[in-house]
Amino acid sequence: MSARATTTRRFAFAAGHRYHVAQWSAAENARAFGRLTVPHGHNYTLDVTVHGPIDPRTGMVIDLGELKAIVNTTVIERFDHADLNADPLFRERIPTTENIAIAVWELLIPELGPDRLARVRVWEDPTLFVDYDGA
Amino acid sequence: MSRRVELTRVYHFSAAHCLAHPGLSAADNATLYGQCARLHGHNYYLEVTVAGIPDALTGFAVNLERLDRTVARSLLDQVDHHRLEDAPVLAGVITTGEGLAHAFWGALREALPAGELQKVVVQETAKNRFEYRGEEV
Repeated sequence: MSARATTTRRFAFAAGHRYHVAQWSAAENARAFGRLTVPHGHNYTLDVTVHGPIDPRTGMVIDLGELKAIVNTTVIERFDHADLNADPLFRERIPTTENIAIAVWELLIPELGPDRLARVRVWEDPTLFVDYDGA
Repeated sequence: MSRRVELTRVYHFSAAHCLAHPGLSAADNATLYGQCARLHGHNYYLEVTVAGIPDALTGFAVNLERLDRTVARSLLDQVDHHRLEDAPVLAGVITTGEGLAHAFWGALREALPAGELQKVVVQETAKNRFEYRGEEV
């Protein structure tokens, strides 16, 4: 039997976005989103939580170097200093904090698998974050 | 496929309070609560966690403006730069961090759509953090 633990690593990316529903008129978009229809950006913080047994040989749930490499390659290089609205991931959905958390999960799940990936937390700024755990 | 996310908003308020049990003398309260029995104050942080499914069109799981307005009206307006013991939402509550989290949960659960509220966290100082999720034992 091994002890099960979680490991969370923090990442950051700066990205631009705007809220805009293509099917709506400018007035409808303005009514729904206000100044969020104008392109703007955030310094996002991303917390990736991995769970699993503590490997008796290494003492680790996951090699943090491996986790860093996976997240940097699949998420950070893609989103950092990028226009999120131009990313195919957000062709069918608006890059709200909710949808960014879901998209990050979708990018990481093929790499980490549900046995390891426990939660994605995206902070838009220090006053707002969204958690997604695959539910 | 619907995907359920949890969204947490962090709010801030500054308030004065003192810990005192109404049934105890001033001396007994001083013994029980120590320095907390004297009027003092904190820079509080309040975290409100709500759950929802992002709307297919807007991408919003929660209407943030409505959430902010609800939290302001039902809590923050009463406590920010006030003495906590004077806030209607805290009537009869001993204003410990646990007491605030519990009382704020009750007020928010009334004010928010059913099933939306998941968790209330009151951070009294950088060292003290209190969570309430509606559990009764």
